[in-house]
Amino acid sequence: MQQSRIAFAIGDPAGISPELSARILADEKANLGDLIVIGDQRVLALGARQAGLSLDLPVVPREALEGDLPEGTVLVDMGNCDPENVPIGEASMEGGRAALDNFAAALKVGKAGLAKAVFFTPFNKHAMRLAKSDYVDEIGFIDATIEAERSGREFNVLDEVWNARVTSHIPLRDVADKLSVDRIYESLKLTTEVMEGAGIKRPRIGVAALNPHAGDGRNFGWEDEDILLPAVERAQQEQLAVTGPIPSDTVFVRAIRGEFDAVMTMYHDQGQIAMKLLGFDRGVTLIAGYPFPIVTPAHGTAYDIAGKGIADTGATFNALALGRRLGDELGSQNGAEASASHERQAVSG
Amino acid sequence: MRPLALSIGDPSGIGPEVILQAWLRRDQDKLSPFYVLGDPALLAARARHLGLDVPLCEAEPEAAESAFDNRLPVAPLENRLTDSAGQPETVNAAGVIEAISRAVTDTVESRAAAVVTAPIAKKPLYDAGFRFPGHTEFLGHLAEELTGRPATPVMMLAGPDLRTVPVTVHQALAGVPETLTQALVEEIARITHRELRQRFGIAEPRLAIAGLNPHAGEGGAMGTEDRDVIAPAIHALQEDGINAFGPLPADTMFHARARAGYDAALCMYHDQALIPVKTIAFDETVNVTLGLPFIRTSPDHGTAFDIAGRGIARPDSLIAAIRLARRLSDNTDTIK
Repeated sequence: MQQSRIAFAIGDPAGISPELSARILADEKANLGDLIVIGDQRVLALGARQAGLSLDLPVVPREALEGDLPEGTVLVDMGNCDPENVPIGEASMEGGRAALDNFAAALKVGKAGLAKAVFFTPFNKHAMRLAKSDYVDEIGFIDATIEAERSGREFNVLDEVWNARVTSHIPLRDVADKLSVDRIYESLKLTTEVMEGAGIKRPRIGVAALNPHAGDGRNFGWEDEDILLPAVERAQQEQLAVTGPIPSDTVFVRAIRGEFDAVMTMYHDQGQIAMKLLGFDRGVTLIAGYPFPIVTPAHGTAYDIAGKGIADTGATFNALALGRRLGDELGSQNGAEASASHERQAVSG
Repeated sequence: MRPLALSIGDPSGIGPEVILQAWLRRDQDKLSPFYVLGDPALLAARARHLGLDVPLCEAEPEAAESAFDNRLPVAPLENRLTDSAGQPETVNAAGVIEAISRAVTDTVESRAAAVVTAPIAKKPLYDAGFRFPGHTEFLGHLAEELTGRPATPVMMLAGPDLRTVPVTVHQALAGVPETLTQALVEEIARITHRELRQRFGIAEPRLAIAGLNPHAGEGGAMGTEDRDVIAPAIHALQEDGINAFGPLPADTMFHARARAGYDAALCMYHDQALIPVKTIAFDETVNVTLGLPFIRTSPDHGTAFDIAGRGIARPDSLIAAIRLARRLSDNTDTIK
């Protein structure tokens, strides 16, 4: 049976996560479908107070995750965080521990096939590290939690433009050494697959150049001609709709004007600067490449406005909507495969 | 009022046509007088070709102001320029370089108020033996020649509501961490601070300093330069009473709320400075050179050979460059 629910993990309780959660759950116009909300009931109540609204969800204990979850939207009360112990607007071990616990539970729900997508409200990395000193980033944590066969990839999605990057959280001085024809080509291929999985047929990808002016004919670096260009050409031979390398100060403008569905960037800030500028309040981060999509708002915990009742749910709504769309697409693709294998079994049986 | 000196740029690019269009918009955009260092025959031919009604006159800087209302003043070059829109010609290199040199000389000799340069392309100049990485470096060289004093040209991108200054400019990204030193960050910051006061008329400039690495290195977890190079530079600037702060994560320092907190952002590499300004204001960004004994601005677009001579190039960035050059030279005059 195709799962219709999204697992919804409440993130760092010291930031705007409780308020965002309460606001979006109370928003009847959001049309989110059924959700398995995972977090401490007291934290969600705090969020409701911060937002100045009331929430009434069926509550089940965390043990329900192991047994039968009732139908419809439910709050799984994890009993893992007393807001009294979490200073608002500060990274704390208590807050980090609850966020990690909720996220791990949501991932397990996804892995068990109980949800078609996993969503979480923002985390604070510093708090995560206070709670778990070897925490590096979401991808490493997901890999370990669901014992993934291969790591996922992070994408940023803003309205109609996607951004994927070849390298991410590494020092800038290491970026050029990490680039290879294979690695860029694989990134282009995976991005195309994920986007097709989201219903975007033959996505057009603009590839951002590494160097200023795309190297200006090798005057400012050789990588654009000797690594990026061959990767692009190989992708084109494989019938991928890829263009580049394009100077990185114009590639996003061209994408926004409708020329590309996605931009492939070579390093973290190359894409993040433009994406955050274009839609600080609307952007979504997607982690794809796992059996289920994982989505979250692209903005952070916003400690500076935590508890003030002014958090904007735009990106949260967009993240849930993308999770639902991707989950449905993935579900129908997997469903098609499953029914095909049933037929084969039926024939051989 | 002394006129602005406009160098024609590569005549095979869109320079000539955006200059002609800017002159046509002189009333609408309240442009103060300028003259072109260029070839009158080529400009006349380009105007005819595009159906633009631009009467020209040959004029030295002193005559440009009175002529400007009715005619586009052109100070003829000694080198002729070949008219081939869309096809760069090595033979034009001498004229292209002469136009820049004379615009600078006129300005240093106080015959012109400031230099505005139309875009050049490096390849035809390199083929003719030119050895500077770009306009900015060549201008620094000219300044030293003319004044006998060393000059450190600093590139600034100025948009309607964001100014950025790249500390390293035209070099491979892989080489940036090696080039970036505490002394360099400090020097570029000091020049920027000084010129924001003297030329932009900002009494207490606020400088936001970007980090080099993702999340500004996260305390050394993703690169050490933010902590070991940039932070000490900021500390030294603060000790000298300069309102500098950072290193800031580059991806969260450019949105509107953040921008309201500073007058210029110091960026560590070319694209870190270019991506935000072009994303915010693609057609209206101006390139300003700081650190020279004269004012120089230019549009931030290139020669655009692919659309040259077709009449579809937009003059917005050149017009913004002309207006900013005037404003900066007025401020500087007031201070003098």
